[in-house]
Amino acid sequence: MKKGTVIGLVALLLVTLGGLMWWMQNGQQDTASNVESEDRVTLDFWSFWGSETRRPIIEKMISDFNESQDEIFVKHTFIPFGDIWTKELAAVASKNEDAIPDVVVGDINAIKLRGQKQQVEPLNTLIDTASLKEVMHPEAWDAVQYEDETYAVPFTMDTRLLFYNKKMLEEAGYTEPPQTWDDLTEMSEKITVKQNNTFEQVGFYPLFGVGTDVWLINSDGRNYISKDGDVTIDTPEDREALEWINAFTEKMGRKEIDAFKAEFGEQQANPFLSEKVAMYVDVATFYTQIRDYGQHLDYGVVPLPEREEGSGHYSWSGGFALEIPKGAKHPEEAATFIEYMAGKEAQMYWAEQNFDQVANQDAGQAVADQLEGQEQEVYSVALSAMENTLLTPVPVEVPDLVSLVNPELEQATLGKKTPEEALQAAERKVKAAKEGTQ
Amino acid sequence: MKHPLRRADTWQGYLFIMPWLLGFAVLTAGPMLFSLFASFTDYDMTSRMNFVGISNYLTMFTKDDLFWVSLYNTFFFVIWSVPLTTIGAMILALLLNKGIPGQRLFRTIFYLPAVLSGVGVYLLWMQMLSPSSGLINTMLGFIGIDGPAWLADPEWTKPALILMKMWSVGGSMLFYLASLQSVPKTLYEVGALEGANWWHRFRYITFPLITPVVFFDLITSTIGAFQIFSEAYVMSEGGNGGPVNSLLFYNLRIWNQAFEVYNMGYAMSMTWFLFVIVLLLTLFNFKFAKKWVYYEGDRR
Repeated sequence: MKKGTVIGLVALLLVTLGGLMWWMQNGQQDTASNVESEDRVTLDFWSFWGSETRRPIIEKMISDFNESQDEIFVKHTFIPFGDIWTKELAAVASKNEDAIPDVVVGDINAIKLRGQKQQVEPLNTLIDTASLKEVMHPEAWDAVQYEDETYAVPFTMDTRLLFYNKKMLEEAGYTEPPQTWDDLTEMSEKITVKQNNTFEQVGFYPLFGVGTDVWLINSDGRNYISKDGDVTIDTPEDREALEWINAFTEKMGRKEIDAFKAEFGEQQANPFLSEKVAMYVDVATFYTQIRDYGQHLDYGVVPLPEREEGSGHYSWSGGFALEIPKGAKHPEEAATFIEYMAGKEAQMYWAEQNFDQVANQDAGQAVADQLEGQEQEVYSVALSAMENTLLTPVPVEVPDLVSLVNPELEQATLGKKTPEEALQAAERKVKAAKEGTQ
Repeated sequence: MKHPLRRADTWQGYLFIMPWLLGFAVLTAGPMLFSLFASFTDYDMTSRMNFVGISNYLTMFTKDDLFWVSLYNTFFFVIWSVPLTTIGAMILALLLNKGIPGQRLFRTIFYLPAVLSGVGVYLLWMQMLSPSSGLINTMLGFIGIDGPAWLADPEWTKPALILMKMWSVGGSMLFYLASLQSVPKTLYEVGALEGANWWHRFRYITFPLITPVVFFDLITSTIGAFQIFSEAYVMSEGGNGGPVNSLLFYNLRIWNQAFEVYNMGYAMSMTWFLFVIVLLLTLFNFKFAKKWVYYEGDRR
């Protein structure tokens, strides 16, 4: 190619590029000015609550806020669960403030790590942390802290409970619900009916509804890494948990369990609703499914049984928190909106409408007091279970924790390793990873 | 050469390919160069980008067990699925080329899976592969075979995925069919006169004449197989490549490193290593191609 051609080509490339960028810039300015037609600051709020049930609820909360305001207007953008956080990350990394949303619903367990990575704005100077800390569930509040800074405000939680079918228990001669693992084993053996290698009904199986990890927490109320940074995976309690689960699998037969599991999907075919399983672990919102699809059920609910008497009815919760992505245009206004969403009134509305656990404990208590009948029973049990409920924030020092531990746990439950071997290996790997980053 | 008209033509040519050139420079070459640079940093997209030399590559080869697991899984998949899908597509095309009745119908049926794609297909297969009530094990049960637990058993997850890939060979089958139909009939007539049986006809007439398509299919499906990601992301519980890391493919590991724990620099060094592997394999294929690929009217 001749020199002239090359120069011309490069010039043409640059001009086209420049034009493209100019066009992109202008295009975006246009849409931004359209939205801010009034004098109010418009906040872009991203959530994944787009379902028939959730969307009206969150949008009612937003419109209530908008009506109470003459300075801020919140616009709700629904983004599917699978996309929302990668999309947010791309926006934050672009540093283009027109693309960055103002408030996003984040995974509460990822907040510490994302705070460290400066993906979200620190909030200590923007919100009243002292009064929020007082009302928030302590575990949830801890999950949004990193190095004395607050990176989000907890919104919802979802602790695991044990639902039991009173009729099925009574038929087996039990009037009281199970309290310990031994109770579960004993009662399940009596209730389970197996014919020609298929289950007519099952009393209980630990891995219906939840994973091994929940039982490891339940066994001793400890996470894989303690708050002081000690690795506590290979403990006698955790070994006992895996052995207890494996005893169920052995006794009942892996193939038969798989076959039984395959029969039911979600919701309508839920084995607890169709009285195929007598005791079943799920979150409090499972109540709404029973209400809608299992009116015939005579059931009760208790906190998760404990390993042995006095060891503690520990449970696990996930949850979501409201965050301001790093570089958002209106952090102060966004903080005002977040404080409203975390406030008692909004949290009560969310809790009532969704029958969900909320992070604001005052709101949770108020809802429990207001409800009646079985609704109140379930909600109150959930509320009391929250006292022994742990969150599992991704540890900043070993962000890869789950991919190190889970394969080992899977080997233990599949019978490819003994619980002891699996837990030892997991502990060794996590320790090595932890030292590697320090 | 310096004819003025000719130069004007050249300009127009460049002008016409400008959209592509621009797209390539901005959307492909630019990001690629950036990722090469970032692979030597501790880049995490938001808080840092410090030069760390080759430490990402060192970690990869010496400290990260899951890197080797994911590399093994990916190679396992490539080594089995590429030959099987290539042979499968070729056999289907050969059968359909026999001129049997209902050929059009079968062609459509075999091609159908290639039209369907993505998550829908994976969900369908997750049902078909269900250990007790799934279609596959039910069928195996009819002939007295007690089928494996497929996606629940780490020994069987990869074979399950390879089986699933075999189902959608319709796309390459169509290429083979087109190329089979362009093999001159006269050659077969000569072969028949000389007393060639079906194997001779395939070995000495058909196969040499369709080698360019076989070659094309091999290259594209090898590259495609190395890119396996969404199957494992959807079909393994929680998208983590389980059970027991048996579906932790290279790209899934990259994804998890980049978007779950934000080790973007590390993820980028993994991508560059994969790029080098695929590049070397493709170069080898091209070099080796001279020995067996036959281009009509071309002496190579």
